[in-house]
Amino acid sequence: MQEYDGRIRLVFKDRPLPMHTLARGAHEAARCAGAAGKYWPYHDLLFEAQPAFRRDDLLRYATELGLNLTEFTRCVDERRYAAQVEADVVQAQALGITGTPTFLINGRKIVGGLPLEELRALVEDALKERR
Amino acid sequence: MRPAPSYSRSVRRVLLHGRRPPRVYYRFLLVIVALVVASTARPPGAGAQIELTLYAAMVKGPADAAVTIIEFSDYQ
Repeated sequence: MQEYDGRIRLVFKDRPLPMHTLARGAHEAARCAGAAGKYWPYHDLLFEAQPAFRRDDLLRYATELGLNLTEFTRCVDERRYAAQVEADVVQAQALGITGTPTFLINGRKIVGGLPLEELRALVEDALKERR
Repeated sequence: MRPAPSYSRSVRRVLLHGRRPPRVYYRFLLVIVALVVASTARPPGAGAQIELTLYAAMVKGPADAAVTIIEFSDYQ
């Protein structure tokens, strides 16, 4: 992101897969962290900690990031962002996205994890097309 | 052969002038319907306009960036 200095926008969308039983809670918790201004640090922590996503784990990560635990716990327990996560899932399904990660680079669909060099090449191509 | 009264009026009319059994006409109609359905069916998402909702906290970079990368991912 820093390398491209304002020429790239990254949008993260939730696509918890049905077989990953703890994933949906993690996605909802990340949005709770987002409401407290810590979406990306929490997001990074989740990727480092996977698949430890039980309720206690999710609350512990919030504590590590210095979030207000009372408010965060309420948010998680109320499943305050369940509808938003579900909306992302529905949008992914509508786009035919069944595997993760899936990237849309200026609308071009790329399925599966990519080595950084390949991702960079795709971004360069997209930048050239816009010139 | 006189057509059975259960067939539609148009099929009965055709049958009065033809010799083929009514089943042939219905089969022909079914084939036409199947072809029309097949020609209009598309795989999920193909060519469809899907409106994506964005949660501001889950976006990095300026709205007018030349390249937008949307990542659908699963934490687990």
